[in-house]
Amino acid sequence: MINTMLNHHSQAIKLVLSRMRNNMLSTLMISLVIAVAMCVPGLFYMGVDHLSTLINHMQDKTEISLFLKLDADKDAISEIDAMLAKNSAIKQYHLVTKAQAWQQLKEKSAANEVSNQVNELAKNPLPDAFFIQAKSTEPEALEALKNELQNIPGVEQALLNTEWAKRLATLLALGKKIILFIASLLAIALLVIIGNTVRMQILTQKDEIVVSKLIGATSSFIRMPFLYAGILYGLLGGLLAILLLAAVVIIFNQSVAQLSSLYSNDFSLPLFNMHLSISVICTAVLIGWLGSYLAVTRAIAAIKIT
Amino acid sequence: MIKFDQVTKRYPSSDEILKNISFNIEAGELVFVTGHSGAGKSTLLKLIAAIERPTSGTVLIANQNISKLKPSAIPFMRRRFGLIFQDHKLLYDRNCFDNVILPLHINGISGTEAAKRVRAALDKVGLLHKEKAMPITLSGGEQQRLAIARAVVSRPSILIADEPTGNLDAQYAADIMDIFNAFNQVGVTVIMATHDTLGKNIEGNRVLHIDHGTLKSSAITQSAFLPTVNLRENLHHD
Repeated sequence: MINTMLNHHSQAIKLVLSRMRNNMLSTLMISLVIAVAMCVPGLFYMGVDHLSTLINHMQDKTEISLFLKLDADKDAISEIDAMLAKNSAIKQYHLVTKAQAWQQLKEKSAANEVSNQVNELAKNPLPDAFFIQAKSTEPEALEALKNELQNIPGVEQALLNTEWAKRLATLLALGKKIILFIASLLAIALLVIIGNTVRMQILTQKDEIVVSKLIGATSSFIRMPFLYAGILYGLLGGLLAILLLAAVVIIFNQSVAQLSSLYSNDFSLPLFNMHLSISVICTAVLIGWLGSYLAVTRAIAAIKIT
Repeated sequence: MIKFDQVTKRYPSSDEILKNISFNIEAGELVFVTGHSGAGKSTLLKLIAAIERPTSGTVLIANQNISKLKPSAIPFMRRRFGLIFQDHKLLYDRNCFDNVILPLHINGISGTEAAKRVRAALDKVGLLHKEKAMPITLSGGEQQRLAIARAVVSRPSILIADEPTGNLDAQYAADIMDIFNAFNQVGVTVIMATHDTLGKNIEGNRVLHIDHGTLKSSAITQSAFLPTVNLRENLHHD
């Protein structure tokens, strides 16, 4: 029984492979169609995924800047220092005194044209400041910590500069939804295309199907080669999609390399994304199987043997 | 083996093709189904082969009621039969060997065992030397023999042939008849539709004669017993 089944499967695969060899061009075409359709959402996904890791990375480094009142004296500073040391939500912090900040500003501005204006300032306008890294990176926790620090006496202002990151994250979430939408539309298109291709094949194999039915072939036996055809189209299409994605990434990375070096930022997409590759192939295979299953089930029911 | 009990068959929007037919075929018999064109011979064979279901009455094959079989059981019922059609129904996109191996593949037999059986079947019909040939290159008689090889390769217990000699000249027809006789002699039940009622092979065998959908006789024939009506009809149709 198991032997019979294995034989059926191996015969079906052999049959499909020989049919594909005989129709190399059309096999390549349908695979290419699948590849392109898989490639488009794949690329979007890669971009959005990479951006969101970058943002997460930045959010990890988010600091709360705690500017003290200009008249804060040494006692007040050490009092706040002690409070910060006791606060369990804080991972680490450091103090930049007004003198240090003034020095940094002078050094930084020395190279460019604002140095004159800086030098013209008669006295140091900068406050003492603590720069605090929280343990949590959650926006809500940071917000709460910021509010808590704001209420410490002697603090002029607590600044949490994550608003832009939040906005970007929201945009990316929207982007992911759009990708899902595009991917679903393309999946439907692929189902139709694969279904139609398989339906055409069924028409050319009609004689064989009729004869097979007459001499006692079960529906699953007749279906099997077409299902394998769908699966193999999906597999080939998925593999081609990954190659296409890699090619696009290489070109993208080359042209973006210059741009990123200007920003002293290493923004390049990874050439091979295991997660994405596996899901592209699995999705393509699933769509191939489903498309041919729908087509073959309808077509077999329509073929009358008498 | 095969039992018809008051079987009537009507296709949608048509008259009754078969009316109230009852007969019984034992295992190992050689039975001819005769009658004019359109008498219902093909429909009778389709009912036996579970290709059609009766409108009323019961068809029992090996004690199984065809009407009550689940659709999923029908393919397994059909594997008991070797079917041979007047138009051969060969597959012209593959060679003789691959045509004959199809029923074995359906039965899940492959490899050397399958190849051995295919060659044995081709040998029985005298086509062993043509296994690589494409069916389209064969003569009509050879194509019919190829169809027989395909029908017998899975060693069915019942052979059903619908006018297998209909398009062949006398010599080819005689060859085909010899092949069927040989199978019958080793115990295969053979049911054959034909309007060639004068052939010598019919003598001494059972004939189911159908006239306009009704069974007119179900007897062992002797030459003298043949209805003369039949003769005229056949002359008319040939």
